[in-house]
Amino acid sequence: MSLNRVIMLADCQSFYASVEKAEHPEYHDSPLVVAGDPERRSGIILAACPIAKKFGVTTAERLGDSLAKCPDLVIIKPRMQLYIDISMQITQIYQAYTDLVEPYSIDEQFLDVTGSIHLYGSPEKLAHHIQARISSDLGIYTRFGIAENKMLAKTACDNYAKKNESGIFELTKEMLPDTLWTLPIAKMFMVGSRMTRHFQFMGLETIGKLAATPLEKLKLMLRRKLGKNSDINAELYWNIANGIDNSPVAPGTHEIAPKAVGHMMTLPRDYETLAEIKVVLLELTELVCQRCRGKGYMGHVVSVGLMGANYDRPSGFSRQMKMDDPTNITNQVYCAAVRLVLTHWDGYPVRKVGVSLTQFSQDDEYQLSLFDTKREKTMALEKATDALKKKYGDAVILRAVSNTPAGQALHRSEKIGGHYK
Amino acid sequence: MRKKLEGNGLWESSRMMLPEHKVAINELEKALRQRTRVELDEQEWEHVARSVTDSLQQRQPITLRLFHPLEELTVIGIVDRIDQLKGRFMVDGEWFLIGDIEGAAIQDIEDNGLF
Repeated sequence: MSLNRVIMLADCQSFYASVEKAEHPEYHDSPLVVAGDPERRSGIILAACPIAKKFGVTTAERLGDSLAKCPDLVIIKPRMQLYIDISMQITQIYQAYTDLVEPYSIDEQFLDVTGSIHLYGSPEKLAHHIQARISSDLGIYTRFGIAENKMLAKTACDNYAKKNESGIFELTKEMLPDTLWTLPIAKMFMVGSRMTRHFQFMGLETIGKLAATPLEKLKLMLRRKLGKNSDINAELYWNIANGIDNSPVAPGTHEIAPKAVGHMMTLPRDYETLAEIKVVLLELTELVCQRCRGKGYMGHVVSVGLMGANYDRPSGFSRQMKMDDPTNITNQVYCAAVRLVLTHWDGYPVRKVGVSLTQFSQDDEYQLSLFDTKREKTMALEKATDALKKKYGDAVILRAVSNTPAGQALHRSEKIGGHYK
Repeated sequence: MRKKLEGNGLWESSRMMLPEHKVAINELEKALRQRTRVELDEQEWEHVARSVTDSLQQRQPITLRLFHPLEELTVIGIVDRIDQLKGRFMVDGEWFLIGDIEGAAIQDIEDNGLF
């Protein structure tokens, strides 16, 4: 038996589109996309099925552009809750093979199958088995990158398993010189367009060249380019290029207490008056506090961000302040948030608003205040509204201002991650 | 920053998760950890009853495995009182339910190396 771990990264092909195809068998052979808001021509493509991709349709392009390439395109509204449910079903299928399953995004999950391999012969056979099961149960095609750590599994999946016939690719360290190291630097995990330019400028056009650069030298190179604080990034890139990664597949990783709870939204139109901004500010504060109350946290520091509407003349701010005492009462946080806006807002139209709370403490103990005699009452009220919302959805009880034209709460309650439930 | 290089930091800082998805994952994890009660048969009950009585009457340390919805719960000590009426027993001043008992063993005094 080998000492190495066997890690898989399982990825679902065009996840949202595949789910919709499984739900609508009549579109099996048609080009299909899931798009932001089909009523608006400017909605963007969230996922395109392989047939649509053959027409040149790509993810994140505008719906109008895709229709120009493929007039017969079937357009489906997103159903985010369904995708989450299917993703959870897939997680449960993986859990039948190993208890070490870590969802990395809605369509990618890490599996540590080291302890299960002996039952199936080889990692590839196991991957085939899982692939066939998900395909028959849910009609979704999955691709598997297999390697000794998460980094190489991800690399194997993104660069090879997604492109080969079987959808399964095993990458060992010995194969790196002929595989990963021959790829251009832009293909490397965590390297975006900006870092690609930087690395190309340094003469590191391939991942192999980066891997072969001694770490100390790379640190110096990055420091010269990006400033003093780039040592950690240098080490990170170097590890990635060399396929070094000892992070565990951690099933409980999503239970870790958050350091901050925040909500942000892009407004459907630019808001110009303080009164309008205050409405969304209150709605966002309510959401943030609601989540904190659900987790039993009180925040001590509130931060507010406003982004100006004019791209050519960037305006706006992101500031934070410490409140007198930790709290999760909406009105208290809202008062602090309004004070931040009053102090820092330059008066220009706003297109994005965000509120977040940090520096948490548990909410089972709190400072009694001499002046706030209504605290217990407010807490009981919020407890009741939170319970209602949990049972019947966020739209069941709203503040009166949410019914004004500036209000977004109703609209927002119909969405997950900015797309329709 | 340093955290990116340690533990699961790289993956925790780079993932894209919808909050609703996270909630669903955590609920599933919690459901998986839920334990079901073990049903004891008559002989096992007899063994438990004898061990508990021995502990009470002869002041012998006892190890009891009790039901807990989420974790493994073991009580070690000497049974001080048994309250049949309320279906509970006391170890070290703390009451536990008799119905929660899933197993019992008297600790051998010779075993602990003191004698």
